[in-house]
Order: sequence, then structure tokens, then C-alpha cells
Amino acid sequence: MFVFKDMAKTLINGDETMTVSQARDLMREKDIRHLPITDAAGKLVGIVSDRDIRSALPSDMVDTDSSCREESVMILSRPIGSLMTKDPVCVYPFDTLQDVLLLMQRHRVGALPVVDEDGILRGIVAVGDMLSAFIEVMGIHQPGTLLCVLAPDRQGEMKKLIDTISDEGISTGSILVARGIQGGDGRKAFFPYLLTNNVARVKQKLIEQGFEMLEPVKWYLDQLPKKS
Amino acid sequence: MLRTGFLYDPRFLLHVTGDDHPECPDRLRLIVENLERSGLLGQLMQIKAEKAKQHWIETVHHIRYIMRFEESCAFGMPSIDHDENRICYDSYDTAMLAVGGVLKAVDAVMEGEAANAFCAVRPPGHHAEFDRAMGFCYFNNVAIAARYLQEKWGVKRIGIVDFDVHHGNGTQHIFEKDNTVFYYSIHEHPSFSYPGTGREFDIGMGDGEGFTKNSPVLPGRGDTEYRKRLTDDLLPAMSAFQPQFLLLSSGFDAHVDDLMSGTNLSTEGYNFIFRLLVDLAVRFCGGRLVSVLEGGYHLDTLPILVSNHIKYLADLK
Repeated sequence: MFVFKDMAKTLINGDETMTVSQARDLMREKDIRHLPITDAAGKLVGIVSDRDIRSALPSDMVDTDSSCREESVMILSRPIGSLMTKDPVCVYPFDTLQDVLLLMQRHRVGALPVVDEDGILRGIVAVGDMLSAFIEVMGIHQPGTLLCVLAPDRQGEMKKLIDTISDEGISTGSILVARGIQGGDGRKAFFPYLLTNNVARVKQKLIEQGFEMLEPVKWYLDQLPKKS
Repeated sequence: MLRTGFLYDPRFLLHVTGDDHPECPDRLRLIVENLERSGLLGQLMQIKAEKAKQHWIETVHHIRYIMRFEESCAFGMPSIDHDENRICYDSYDTAMLAVGGVLKAVDAVMEGEAANAFCAVRPPGHHAEFDRAMGFCYFNNVAIAARYLQEKWGVKRIGIVDFDVHHGNGTQHIFEKDNTVFYYSIHEHPSFSYPGTGREFDIGMGDGEGFTKNSPVLPGRGDTEYRKRLTDDLLPAMSAFQPQFLLLSSGFDAHVDDLMSGTNLSTEGYNFIFRLLVDLAVRFCGGRLVSVLEGGYHLDTLPILVSNHIKYLADLK
């Protein structure tokens, strides 16, 4: 749940004096889309994305035009400091996945540099790292079975659900509560991901307790406008 | 009626999984009792199991895993690799016997003694990986049979059809880089069902790209969806691949009665699958087919479905 666990810790960074061309080559070589820029002390001063570089250059399609080529050469030889985003949004290693998600959404960025209290670059967390983190949080990197359970929206249902699962001695990878997925009657959907193959009996017990197993296609059909 | 082989050995019951485990000896006991009662058993060519030579197991599994499994049983460990993969003292020998039995069924079909065969074995195999046990499976019976067909009998192209409701991760991984074995699986969608693999984007890799195909079925779907996916996905794939021998990973847990899954295949829906697979074997493989039991946990339904499956194999339906 903490940034430190999921960030890329191998630092690949540039400095302000490197040229746009050098920065582009480094990003290509390392197969990365975001390059943090630091000063001599390792302090974060900016970030440049491959999109920043591409937007600064004329299109490849008009490369045959010599004036464009000259323009490209000129841009590529400029220092990256002139192109980077200065003082970018960044996070601390002890910030959470939640922070990263909301910041990425708010600022519409694909990566956040990670700095310590002194502003020294410690890592970077990109969308790909978030995907891996969430795959792990959901437990779906391990074999298991997802149950889709509809329950009345009242206190105690989650407890009943968890008690039933643990009474069967089954480990749980995650339980998602989907607020957007409700039965028409105000019920709410739980998605326990169980680290087991053996779900027949736990399902039977849940049904006996009044939970309903949700079927994806049936749910979808219920969402469609009703014919009058 | 065709001469259909039937592999069973009472020693398959010696793999004891403990109370309340769905993969229990009663599964086989009830299958055989039902076949006996209906008189069908007497019409089948009986195949007796014998232990597989370790060499054949090693065509699929790492030697260190084989030894680890043997030692875990000998030392009285309760399980291997996950607490649901329960083992007892006899589990290793039983698993060797299951593999060896399946290989004998393959021999019977290749020698022409039997037209095809059904193997009522325990433990099942399709989740078993190269180096670990998974999902109640220890040795990958079907994968080993495929290698055996190639090495001993020189059969070049093997088609494997896995209709267990769970994806056969082990079999897929073992053959994913191989263009001589086509692995097709139809199963409950991996978002919902164990083990969470077998998406449509898994199509094999390297030389094996295009030689793996998966048809996930959403929970709640049944006969219509199976019919559609088998017709649209399996048939064209096998027509292109032209298998010379068909191996089936036969799971009966997609049935509506079986709560191990959320799919709703009916008994009739299963009959459609049985008929289609026999037709497939006739069309491409001269009828040569060996079907190996995987899952199926509803103890009332399982024997009926197995009996129906065998009737289709023997051309009695």
C-alpha cells in the first residue's frame, strides 16, 4: 500500500545540461517514458516525458523538408532543462497507492517521481507500477476463485460473509465492495477473491444464508433500458 | 458398438485426501458402480493400470519436483505446494499408477486393440505444472500422454481438448512454446474461476504461437455458449491443425449441479460436447482418442455424465 514498495528504485535520471537528443536516446535505451531531472546533489528539479519531447519536435512525416530537419537538429541540441516540467508533482516513499492514484487522476500524469524529505530523487512510480501493485492488492497473481455475491446493504453482511469464508478455512486474496453494482432492490455486491479451487461448499453455505450469486451477463442485461 | 477401452484400478482409491475434500475416492467408486449397475462396464475393454516408468514423467516434470513429491508422501507431509493438494503415503504411487494407466490406454488405441478409451483416474492432472502441484493435481497425465505418443509412437501432431470447467494452466504452460501439440480449453472465465488463467489473449508463444486457444465462458452461461464457442473456436482451430490423435482432459464440473463452477451446462449440453469430440476424432484422427478424467465433484451427476460420455465413445448413443 506504500509507494516505497511499488516504485522503481533503480534511478535513471538526467541533468539539466544534457541535450534533448541525449535525453531521448537515454529514454529509448532504457525503454522508459518519463525521465526525472536532478541537480548535482541528486535533488529533483524537473521531469520530462517522451510526449514532451515528441511535441517539441516536428513530425517525422515531414522529415524530408530540409528546413524542418534543421529545426529538429536545433531543438535536439538544446538543453533538456528548457523543455522539462519544473517542480513536478511528486510523492514521498511513505505515501500510499491511494495518493498516487488520486494525484495521477488530478494532474493527468503517467508517472510521479518519488523524493525524500530533502527533495532527493529516490525512485519513480508509473502507471505500469500501479497496475502491478493493484494486481497484487487484488491477489489475482495467485490462483483463486472470484465469487460475485449480492447482499442487502446493511451492517453485518460483510461480517457474515467473512465468517462463512473463514469457517471453511479458506484464505482470502481480497474482497472488493462494488458500490456501483447494486441489485435493483438496493443490495450491494461483494467480490471476495478466494485463494482456493474448492468453492462448492462455501457457495452452498452463502446461498443458504440468503446471499445471491451474481451472474455477469444477467447483471448487464438488467442495466439495459427496459422495453415499455 | 465400438471397442472402447476403460481404465480403472481400485488402487486409484488409495490417494486419500481426507474428510470434506471434493477430490475424493468416492468420485471413482460411484462412477464404476454406476457403470456396473447399468451393464455398460461389461461391454468395455478393461485396461489395468501399471506404474509409469519415471522416464515418461520426466518428459514433462522436473526431476527435483518428482523427488520432492515422492519424499513428501514418504515423510507423511499432509500436502504439497498448497494445503488443498492433500497427500497421503500412497499418493505418489497412485499418481504414478494413474500416469502409467493412461499410457497403457494410449498403447491400446495405438495398437488397435481399442478404438478409443476412457481413463477413470485419480489424481487428476491438468493443473500440475512442470515443477509443482496445483489444484488437486500432481502429475499432468494428459501432457505426459502427449509426449509419450510423440516419443514412443512417433505421432507428430497431438490435439488436446480440455473441457474441465477450470483452465488447464499446467497443460497450457507445458506446451505453450510447442507447435506440435495444440492445446484448446473451454472453461469458466478466469476473472471468476480458478486458477485465473486461460484468457483469450493466451495463444502460445515463440514457435507455439497460434497453437494454444482458450474459450472462456462467463458464469451463468451454459449450453448455448458452449455450443457456440466449440463450433466457432474449436472446430476451425482443429481443422487448421489437423491433429493425428486426440487427448481429452475431461472435466464434468461445468454442470449446473456442480457448485465448483458458476457455469450451467445441462446433461444434454454435455452430450453435445461428447458427440462433437467423437466426431472430431473420427474426422481427423481415424477415431483415435483417449479421454482422461479431470474434475467433476457433484457425486450424483458425475457418474451419469461419465456414463453418457462412454456411450458416445462406444457409439451406443
